[in-house]
Amino acid sequence: MSIREKFEITKKYSLLSYVLMTIGVLSVLLLYINYGSSEDEHDRSRFWASLLQNSVFFLLVVNAAMFFICTTILAWGGWATSFRRIPEAISSAVPVIGIICGAILLAIVFGGDHAIYHWTDTEHVKHDPILLHKSGFLNKTFFTVWTVLTIFLWWVLGKKIRSLSHSTDIGPMGVEVGKKFIWKNTIWAALFMIVFSLTVMSTIPWLWLMSIDAHWYSTMYSWYTFASTFVSGMALIALYVVYLKNKGYLEYTNQEHLHDLGKFMFGFSVFWTYLWFSQYMLIWYSNQPEETIYFQPRVNGVYKIVFFFSLIINFLGPLLLLMKRDAKRNYMTITLLAVLIIFGHWLDFFQMVHPGPSRDHVPMILYDLGIAAGFVGLIMFLTGRTLSKHALVPKYHPFFKESVIHHT
Amino acid sequence: MSLLRYESQVRPPLVKGNKEYHQVTEDICRPVESKPSRAWWIGFSISLAFLLFGVVSVTMEVIYGVGQWNLNKTIGWGWDITNFVWWIGIGHAGTLISAILLLFRQGWRTGVNRAAEAMTIFAVMCAGQFPIFHMGRVWDIFFSLPYPNTRGPLWVNFNSPLLWDVFAISTYFTVSLLFWYSGLLPDLASLRDRAKKKWRKLFYGITAFGWTGSTKHWQRHESLSLVLAGLSTPLVLSVHTIVSFDFATSVIPGWHTTIFPPYFVAGAIFSGFAMVQTLLVITRKVLGLEQYITIEHIEVMNKVIILTGSIVGIAYLTELFMSWYGANQYESFAFMENRLNLNSPYGWSYWIMMGCNVLSPQIFWSSKMRRNITITFFMSILVNIGMWFERFVIIVTSVYRDYLPSSWSTYYTPSIWEIGFYLGTFGLFFTCYFLFTKYFPVVALAEIKHILKRSGDGYKNKMNEIEKQGSDDFVKEHSHDHGA
Amino acid sequence: MAVKKFIVGSFDDEAVLFPAVKQVRKSGYKIHDVFTPFPIHGLDKVMGLRDTSIHTAGFIYGITGTATALGFITWVATKDWPLNIGGKPFFSLPAWIPIIFELTVLFSAVGMVLTFCYLCQMAPFVKKDHFNLRSTDDLFVMALECTEKTNEKEAVAFLQNVGATDVVVDYKETEWWLGRYDKEIKIFEKGKQ
Repeated sequence: MSIREKFEITKKYSLLSYVLMTIGVLSVLLLYINYGSSEDEHDRSRFWASLLQNSVFFLLVVNAAMFFICTTILAWGGWATSFRRIPEAISSAVPVIGIICGAILLAIVFGGDHAIYHWTDTEHVKHDPILLHKSGFLNKTFFTVWTVLTIFLWWVLGKKIRSLSHSTDIGPMGVEVGKKFIWKNTIWAALFMIVFSLTVMSTIPWLWLMSIDAHWYSTMYSWYTFASTFVSGMALIALYVVYLKNKGYLEYTNQEHLHDLGKFMFGFSVFWTYLWFSQYMLIWYSNQPEETIYFQPRVNGVYKIVFFFSLIINFLGPLLLLMKRDAKRNYMTITLLAVLIIFGHWLDFFQMVHPGPSRDHVPMILYDLGIAAGFVGLIMFLTGRTLSKHALVPKYHPFFKESVIHHT
Repeated sequence: MSLLRYESQVRPPLVKGNKEYHQVTEDICRPVESKPSRAWWIGFSISLAFLLFGVVSVTMEVIYGVGQWNLNKTIGWGWDITNFVWWIGIGHAGTLISAILLLFRQGWRTGVNRAAEAMTIFAVMCAGQFPIFHMGRVWDIFFSLPYPNTRGPLWVNFNSPLLWDVFAISTYFTVSLLFWYSGLLPDLASLRDRAKKKWRKLFYGITAFGWTGSTKHWQRHESLSLVLAGLSTPLVLSVHTIVSFDFATSVIPGWHTTIFPPYFVAGAIFSGFAMVQTLLVITRKVLGLEQYITIEHIEVMNKVIILTGSIVGIAYLTELFMSWYGANQYESFAFMENRLNLNSPYGWSYWIMMGCNVLSPQIFWSSKMRRNITITFFMSILVNIGMWFERFVIIVTSVYRDYLPSSWSTYYTPSIWEIGFYLGTFGLFFTCYFLFTKYFPVVALAEIKHILKRSGDGYKNKMNEIEKQGSDDFVKEHSHDHGA
Repeated sequence: MAVKKFIVGSFDDEAVLFPAVKQVRKSGYKIHDVFTPFPIHGLDKVMGLRDTSIHTAGFIYGITGTATALGFITWVATKDWPLNIGGKPFFSLPAWIPIIFELTVLFSAVGMVLTFCYLCQMAPFVKKDHFNLRSTDDLFVMALECTEKTNEKEAVAFLQNVGATDVVVDYKETEWWLGRYDKEIKIFEKGKQ
């Protein structure tokens, strides 16, 4: 079999991505017509909440791919080298989705409606001592500055790390050059990590998501959000590995690599559950009204089904189906589980966002699914485009050979 | 199946001195087979002295009751629980190295895992003493077990985090011991088969359980290690999580926060690595194992220290931020007044914690610092102090001022028996560690041999050929070794 | 108890051992066992050993632990002596998760180690015949079992040919017995079968 160095976007692939994007756009339009253009503020908030949930979720997921790369760089992991162009390509969707997400967030903050972010209502805040107290953090200026800065930094640092990786394609490097190359990578990856820990691991989920329930707080929230999106990111990478393998690319990536990706999906699903449990149990146990209020609509209210259903598919699914070694080495199971995990965590985000503006009834999820399809199409489009631009296998990366002979 | 032993030349070798298998056995068995040095005897005697002091202190407490300690009405938990959490945290690094790094396939763990696991076991032994003797009537300890008793039968309270601790720590101790010992079996067999003296043959004959090195046994052993690692990973998380639940399930300001579980785990690993550094920097020097526990190992562990230290830092800041953001006056008083305010009675302890745990490890961004043994040793002590203060801050600064200012405590200083108890656990820990270095191989023999042909410097030099080989040729030669 | 005759070949390099095992098996000799100082990945496959299912046993023990803990606590807290603790329901599942988890791990780990010791016939005071003491140091020792058909000389030559540095013919006990390693108690006579 001749080795194809670059991914060629097939007609089917681009057709699918366009179809999905069209579905997305149509869903947005439909949702806008039915709700977004409504006179009622709560109807409008349903429209914006859906956009918020989808754009934030998918932005964090594609950014998690870059997080994965940086972790492997810092941990000197060699095994992922043979397919590292995939997470790179996925992370190249950060700028576009970031802009979309940023625009949506700013539109919600400055749009004049307050059903999602109560703290944007300056009149109301004046009479709400708690929100007034928080206004040092929850205010439009800080929100804007920090959001724009965050997305910009993810974009720039991601781009730098990708371009470092592409610089290996020129030709073989010796040991000394290789060491320098790794050193340079380490510095940029560490920088990304610092930014990542100051954004995804702390402030960003507070600002973007937790402030929907502006009175409520949980210190775990950001790490929980991180776990959710990281495991989805791993699932997305696994999906692409399987897809490209099926198309005959990635000749040096095999079951061994898939096995390790499976382990990540398994391990971090359990990790997510651990954080889920810790947050839920502690609030349940101490039973303070100011904290339990968050779980009221989710556990006792209308979101009960969504809440526990997402726990089942995000925990029990991977736990039982991915435990066996053979399951992690099976392309079919991995595909199935990856789709399940991404859907499950998307659903988790659904129950994180919607109970805020719509406490008493679960919005019709079909619209949201349609918009999600649009984002999937967009990620496919952007990832495919980047994949087709550069070599799929970083042949001259210092750890490439280790990756080829990798076995679990 | 590929027989190719290759690793990128970019990676530094993990075993130095151009070793062959036999040489590895010789080097690692030497400290066990030769007479202990003077330094060993001195260290061992000091440890024993500390242990004896501890025994006396505990005896005082058992005879005269918890009143021998300076705990008071609101500070019901003081040094005892601080020390408990501190020791249990120390233990976590051993499991991290042996289990989690095994799953992540970090080759460098082979040099340090055996000693780190031993450290885990001894640390858990020390930790266990504190809640046990804190009970006061220690002879009633069996009350904490769920057994059909004469009181009703009234069962233990399964909803209580303190009972979860009983289960978590006993399970952790048992599983760590099993993991450690099953890994030791092949190495004990090596010692047995080399033994010249009668008592050695007897001792290692018994302890090696009749291990032969049969392929089938190795196959099961590998599978066992992997599953035990898989079990230990969530276990080690659960143990410090449950310890954190002791605090976080309550409604005490400064204790009740949802980030406690993962933050305690990160802190535990952080302090544990510091202790591993303290021990190994000395051990490698005294036992002459510098070629196995190389400067690369030290550097990598320093990287883990800065990583976990920074995670802990993020958690501190998160907590601090939420104490303000949460708009709960009691919560923010606990942080802003009892901790942050340097002029409050215990403000100093918060800043020692911040300085030692978050700020000082930042010097490890520089690789020169990471590779400096003296700095490493100094830093490891500093981090241990810092992590002790973290627990002290969490416990004491949250409880010394009750909701009612009328029940604010007077300043709490430990009594001599409290200090003696703590020093005594050091005695216990180091006595065990000294005995371990004398009678057991400090470095995992079989595991070093396993990575020798990939990471030994002599073998790495021979890999130059492969390193120079073009990627395409390399792939042609070796990639067909794989399935799929 | 069975004393058998073996041809014991020692190798000093696992890279030689691997093809040797393949060739030996191909030529129809019966490999009793290969003793190595450290685990060699893939050797079990080459020797045609079946995969171990010890991890499946571990899973079953784990499930047993889960069920035991859940069942017992449920019985205690809802049937035997229900208590109102902090206004929580009698069936307080979230509060029980920690103990349920711990017991799952405990059962699984202890069960697996015991199973491992049982399968490998290992315990304190268990003694087994060693083919070559250096197999726990630096040699890879292959033991061929002699049958009536085995031509000793041929087999020795064959082993030397495939790279064994040292080949001897020896009688060995294949089972374990209780004994001490500091005492040589011969429980069989050499050469007697």
